[in-house]
Amino acid sequence: MLKIIIPTIMLIPLTWMSKPNMIWINTTTYGLLISLISLFYLNQPNDNTLNSSLMFFSDSLSAPLLALTTWLLPLMLMASQHHLSKEPLTRKKLYISMLILLQLFLIMTFTASELIFFYILFEATLIPTLIIITRWGNQTERLNAGLYFLFYTLMGSLPLLVALLYIHNFMGSLNFLMIQYWIQPLPNSWSNIFLWLACMMAFMVKMPLYGLHLWLPKAHVEAPIAGSMVLAAVLLKLGGYGMMRITTLLNPLTNFMAYPFMMLSLWGMIMTSSICLRQTDLKSLIAYSSVSHMALVIVAVLIQTPWSYMGATALMIAHGLTSSMLFCLANSNYERIHSRTMILARGLQTLLPLMAAWWLLASLTNLALPPTINLIGELFVVMSSFSWSNITIILMGINIIITALYSLYMLITTQRGKYSHHIKNIKPSFTRENALMTLHLLPLLLLSLNPKIILGPIY
Amino acid sequence: MKPPILIIIMATIMTGTMIVMLSSHWLLIWIGFEMNMLAIIPILMKKYNPRAMEASTKYFLTQATASMLLMMGVTINLLYSGQWVVSKISNPIASIMMTTALTMKLGLSPFHFWVPEVTQGITLMSGMILLTWQKIAPMSILYQISPSINTNLLMLMALTSVLVGGWGGLNQTQLRKIMAYSSIAHMGWMAAIITYNPTMMVLNLTLYILMTLSTFMLFMLNSSTTTLSLSHMWNKFPLITSMILILMLSLGGLPPLSGFIPKWMIIQELTKNNMIIIPTLMAITALLNLYFYLRLTYSTALTMFPSTNNMKMKWQFEYTKKATLLPPLIITSTMLLPLTPMLSVLD
Repeated sequence: MLKIIIPTIMLIPLTWMSKPNMIWINTTTYGLLISLISLFYLNQPNDNTLNSSLMFFSDSLSAPLLALTTWLLPLMLMASQHHLSKEPLTRKKLYISMLILLQLFLIMTFTASELIFFYILFEATLIPTLIIITRWGNQTERLNAGLYFLFYTLMGSLPLLVALLYIHNFMGSLNFLMIQYWIQPLPNSWSNIFLWLACMMAFMVKMPLYGLHLWLPKAHVEAPIAGSMVLAAVLLKLGGYGMMRITTLLNPLTNFMAYPFMMLSLWGMIMTSSICLRQTDLKSLIAYSSVSHMALVIVAVLIQTPWSYMGATALMIAHGLTSSMLFCLANSNYERIHSRTMILARGLQTLLPLMAAWWLLASLTNLALPPTINLIGELFVVMSSFSWSNITIILMGINIIITALYSLYMLITTQRGKYSHHIKNIKPSFTRENALMTLHLLPLLLLSLNPKIILGPIY
Repeated sequence: MKPPILIIIMATIMTGTMIVMLSSHWLLIWIGFEMNMLAIIPILMKKYNPRAMEASTKYFLTQATASMLLMMGVTINLLYSGQWVVSKISNPIASIMMTTALTMKLGLSPFHFWVPEVTQGITLMSGMILLTWQKIAPMSILYQISPSINTNLLMLMALTSVLVGGWGGLNQTQLRKIMAYSSIAHMGWMAAIITYNPTMMVLNLTLYILMTLSTFMLFMLNSSTTTLSLSHMWNKFPLITSMILILMLSLGGLPPLSGFIPKWMIIQELTKNNMIIIPTLMAITALLNLYFYLRLTYSTALTMFPSTNNMKMKWQFEYTKKATLLPPLIITSTMLLPLTPMLSVLD
């Protein structure tokens, strides 16, 4: 794993010592090379994990997330070039260093083999994200957003620390590979209920679960584009990844404890999808759509069937790419009209037809069109929740319809119809933006040819 | 203050603490405490104004009372055990009196009221000595009598200290008061673990002293005592603002900075001793601390605080103030987490 970690650490001296007109080029190129290395980890042996060392390992669950993280860094750098162009050089280098530091922590989180190590890095990802949101966001609400983000996550994760130390005491070790052989069933008692809650709340807040999702619209909307991208694409998946890892320790209590969270997720996904239909703020719409998709992942992880785990993993990767792409598209709008209001930039198809093609494809993948991996994820989750309880099909069906509704609403409002008058002198699309969209879309479409690699360890 | 006098006073302060730490006779420990207190009064009164005199008086009164309480505990111990050696104190009354006296010296709740007021009335340098060096002597005595301390009493004090330290600091804009409440909260964390694993208390004390020294030195670079003056630092010392950011997050106990080490270790020790609710409560209350540190970083490093145009156009001169050992202090205060496995040498 060091062959990914050390190059990522070395990207920081690269930014600080490059010539001023080469910082973006250097970091993007080497970031892409690092993501090439991470693709090697996708080659997983069928019945085991790839153990690189005492501290790092990668299995079929963490390898696609690792590839997603390393793929996203060059994309974030490409997306940030425009809004940072007016800043002094030191601040640009600081911003890039924050992104690289965040990338480093995320890589180590996804490949950590010991749960306390995972926890430390899970918390460590908060600091660069906080700095990116609060320092480089654009509106005054970003202070509140950073505060909500930090404190919601910390309130959830401090009980997790206590719970992990308790389990360490109880079991002797917290290494993933050993713990799967030492698991004892967790009977139903009050103290075990609190243990379950302490373990899971951190990830529920991160996902986010419907009742605890208040930080997400704030943080996503106020963050600059790279912040939004990494938040939506990877940081939310930390919650899903953590939940999948820790539910191995919490059986069979999960069958009992899962009910309230299933209710919240099932209801929440419909609620947040419906809110999307009434949003005026484009980024806020995409943020609430993230909550809705992640609620599906929560449902899948709590059901704990083989198909649901496959669906959750696929949905995480698919949603990461889709959501990040939607934020890039929203940002391309924002950079032109400096407002996030949807109706201010209508009828863009006549002015920017290629961008309209990307908008179309992004919206189609967001509403889970076959044969994309979004559909595979959602379909597996719907089917497994149907087998868990027949009635959930109604809620899932309503959610799929409303998802389609708001995705198409977003597409039609921004792209179709007559353009607004003041919009005629926006700049045409940059090649950088088109490249960005392609780089998001190509993995998404190519993975639909071979979804086996993102279906997780159960496949 | 004239240099010879300053040297004598500093030497007395250090000798006092050394005497406390190195003695095995209770009377000598009391002597050490008194030497320390008397010698630090002129340091607290460096600026000759009524506020400093008020602060010194409050400090003197509380410390003297605490020393007398300690003496009473020592005498009761003498009565029941017949010897003056510092060892396990079998009599519970003597033990409680000594614990109360020492926590009064440290500024643990419910004896915390003097800490913000004294810290506010004195200069930054004196405040630094007050909050770091002065904690060493009482902590060393608590370490030595740790097998015989009443756990319930100390745990209650610790819990209330963490709460008071968190809530008290929320409404402050004066940096010295913020550091005082931070000291109360950190002392609470240390007191919680003394009866279970005193080594972790020493670890927490060491890291707390390192972090507080760094913070005070950064404040002294700019001679800033309020949040407002700290917020002008982006113009004069842009690098120091980033240092303050990281240091504040480390004081708040965020991983992966060194401030997380003591919290992690203390929670680990407490859970090993079957206490689950107390460390959870302490950890969550430490978030209150983090809130006001974060507010400081917001105004210093992450936003441009509202300021007049004059403040935005300062010359950036070379640093002329002495910042002794500042780089190593900052590095140890923030980057020590990967060295945590080395703690096994303490066993």
